[in-house]
Amino acid sequence: MSLVDFFERYPNRRYLMYGGKGGLGKTTFSAATAYYLAKKGKRVLVFSVDPQASLSDIFERDIFGKGNVEIMENLFACEVDADKRVRDYQEEIRQKIISMYGMKKIPEEIEDYIRASSAEPAMEESAIFDAVVDIVVKGDFDYYIYDLVPLGHALYYLSMASIYDAWLEKITGLREQMKEYDKAIATMKREEDTEQDEIYNELMYIKDRIGSSSKIMTDTEKTAFFFVLTPEEMTIVDTEKAAQLFAKYKVPLSGYIVNRVINRELLKDNIPTYLKNRIEMQVGALEMIDTKFGSSVLSAVPEFDSEIKGLDVIRDLAEVMFEEKLS
Amino acid sequence: MEEKKKGKKRKSTGGVLGFVRDFTYGMATHGMARHALKQRSSMEHLFILITMGDMLGIPILPPYYSLRLLPHVVPQITTWKRRMLREKDLMDSMY
Repeated sequence: MSLVDFFERYPNRRYLMYGGKGGLGKTTFSAATAYYLAKKGKRVLVFSVDPQASLSDIFERDIFGKGNVEIMENLFACEVDADKRVRDYQEEIRQKIISMYGMKKIPEEIEDYIRASSAEPAMEESAIFDAVVDIVVKGDFDYYIYDLVPLGHALYYLSMASIYDAWLEKITGLREQMKEYDKAIATMKREEDTEQDEIYNELMYIKDRIGSSSKIMTDTEKTAFFFVLTPEEMTIVDTEKAAQLFAKYKVPLSGYIVNRVINRELLKDNIPTYLKNRIEMQVGALEMIDTKFGSSVLSAVPEFDSEIKGLDVIRDLAEVMFEEKLS
Repeated sequence: MEEKKKGKKRKSTGGVLGFVRDFTYGMATHGMARHALKQRSSMEHLFILITMGDMLGIPILPPYYSLRLLPHVVPQITTWKRRMLREKDLMDSMY
């Protein structure tokens, strides 16, 4: 199957993700796919939450933290500033405390806690995935292309989501029990019905957010996850391992795209030994890819002689990826 | 508290029988309510421990979402911390 077939066969797969080790071309393929779909008349948003995001570089526009920026007709790009998001969120909590209790200043121990929270390792991942929910629930695009943070983060979040879920289950249980006590006390004291439990409502909200953010990554109807790899033994082995892990978390793996394939025809020319060796190494690696992933390989893209940057080169790449002339 | 409860009672039938009924009811309920309130507040503290444990150095869960709950427990934080950090020994429970 080719990439074009894939998009024709599964028009409902609206959330596209490219995963893989760093530097293999996730951003490049995200941009090229966005370009192709936009040219086909679909409204596309390609977004990244990586602090070292390179969408700005590839589109040659500074879009970091600027919301959805129109790159060309139908194509929008967005780079989320995760740090700023965390800071805004903390400020929101502060304001909420101040307005809830009419305080002039946040008590010191509370302030310390808020400040310390941003140093927690999982804070950023959670903020990132929360941002993704915000972007996706709006639903004003035909396609969302998610230039994923490195694999580790995604896996970490997915495993975290299931722990969160179990945790929430327990504390909502506790909260319900507390509510029973409230009711009993109210009856005994012959008071009016108890007030709404705000915390319980918050817990329900949190549950919903976590549910939707992990669902975006695991929805077999709407999500397609592509792995990017290069013809090198180590990358192949790592990709295979990552794919197994992702499968464990029920991420709908939809195929593999091979990047940086050097043209084999070059062997016929008089080329330096260095290049000759590299091509021969790749031939072996490509065979390995074929035995391991077979028909799941949707596309193989050659090594370009220039950096992929700017819309013209992105178009060239998209033409190769989708085997179609785009004007 | 008992007096207040008796005063609130709907239509008191009066007489010795009514008094006895009110009195026992008040006595029993008061004890129960006190117990329930105590139980309820330990649960409240348990809840804060589970969600905000890292305030005491017990990292329990990533704080992104627990921060959302923080505003709602602000008033209880001080008593909770005092209770959690209080030294306890076995003798306490005997007296």
